[in-house]
Amino acid sequence: MRFYLLFGVLAVALLVIKGLFLCFVPNRKIPPFLERSFRYIPPAVLAALIAPSVLYAGNPAGLDISPARLAAGLAAFAVALRTKNILITIATGMILLWAFSFLFA
Amino acid sequence: MTDSRREFLRGARNSVPLFLGIVPFAMVVGVAAREAGLDAAQGTFFSLSMLAGTAQLAAVQLYGAGASAAIVLLTAMVVNLRYSMYSLSLHPVLEERSYIERLLAAFLLSDQSFVASMTELETNPDNPSLPAFLFGSSLAIFVVWLAGVFLGFVLEAMIPAGLSLDFVIPLAFMFLLVPHLGGKDRQVSVLAGIAASVVLVPRLPLQSGLLVAILIGIGSGMAAGEFLRTTVSGGERP
Repeated sequence: MRFYLLFGVLAVALLVIKGLFLCFVPNRKIPPFLERSFRYIPPAVLAALIAPSVLYAGNPAGLDISPARLAAGLAAFAVALRTKNILITIATGMILLWAFSFLFA
Repeated sequence: MTDSRREFLRGARNSVPLFLGIVPFAMVVGVAAREAGLDAAQGTFFSLSMLAGTAQLAAVQLYGAGASAAIVLLTAMVVNLRYSMYSLSLHPVLEERSYIERLLAAFLLSDQSFVASMTELETNPDNPSLPAFLFGSSLAIFVVWLAGVFLGFVLEAMIPAGLSLDFVIPLAFMFLLVPHLGGKDRQVSVLAGIAASVVLVPRLPLQSGLLVAILIGIGSGMAAGEFLRTTVSGGERP
């Protein structure tokens, strides 16, 4: 039951965030400070989501540093920068992770 | 065929090339939902009640890791704040529409359909059927997204745990990160986010590390942007 309550509230909260300004326009402008922060939300969010799951093994991330994940992750990031292709990025990262886990094990 | 029906279909067709990026990411969300321990009914509710990409993924992972409700809600809302900027930009497009239609548009809005509609608005500013275009694009993306989540949810059970499938999640995020690396200020925000998350995520209580690391990343980026604007005139602004 806790699940449905939590995700029900979350669904409403997300709809409010998405829909508020479509329905009502604030008569004052959004504070410039908040508006400037939008530019940094995607890079900060993605960096914070990526780094721990590349450096550490285990879910939720523990404190065991995983050399195989780190090496595969760095290589995959270089591939993402070059190719800008999601499938090639995922394939490179997974194949290298399997190879490195095999080698380091 | 009426104008709006044609524009609806054109919006849907326009989003087809985007499916290649959407399906793998949606599958990752399905995999994560199953790994967080959701059953079929919960998974269905989870995928039909919101369309929020990264926020959805962060929420379900935090839930699976046993985070408190407040942390799940706060983190997902911060991750999703950018949508308020999208809806502000789209307000003029949907001004004439009913509140129900506007809420539906808000529900279906995604990064991809926003970009598609803004591009359309720039190339074709006088198109009276732009809302139909937006609905066509958003709906097509939502349907494909749902199919991807479902596929990931079903396939997860068939993949042996030894394959470390969870690693697909950071890999998919790397692809999403690439377009946001322009400008020194945003690179500072990435580096601060990496440093803060690596230190804080395993250590802060109640899974609050992700939220704090995100706020540190955003704050560092803003500070760097401010610094560049005041010291290097006309420096790294887009």
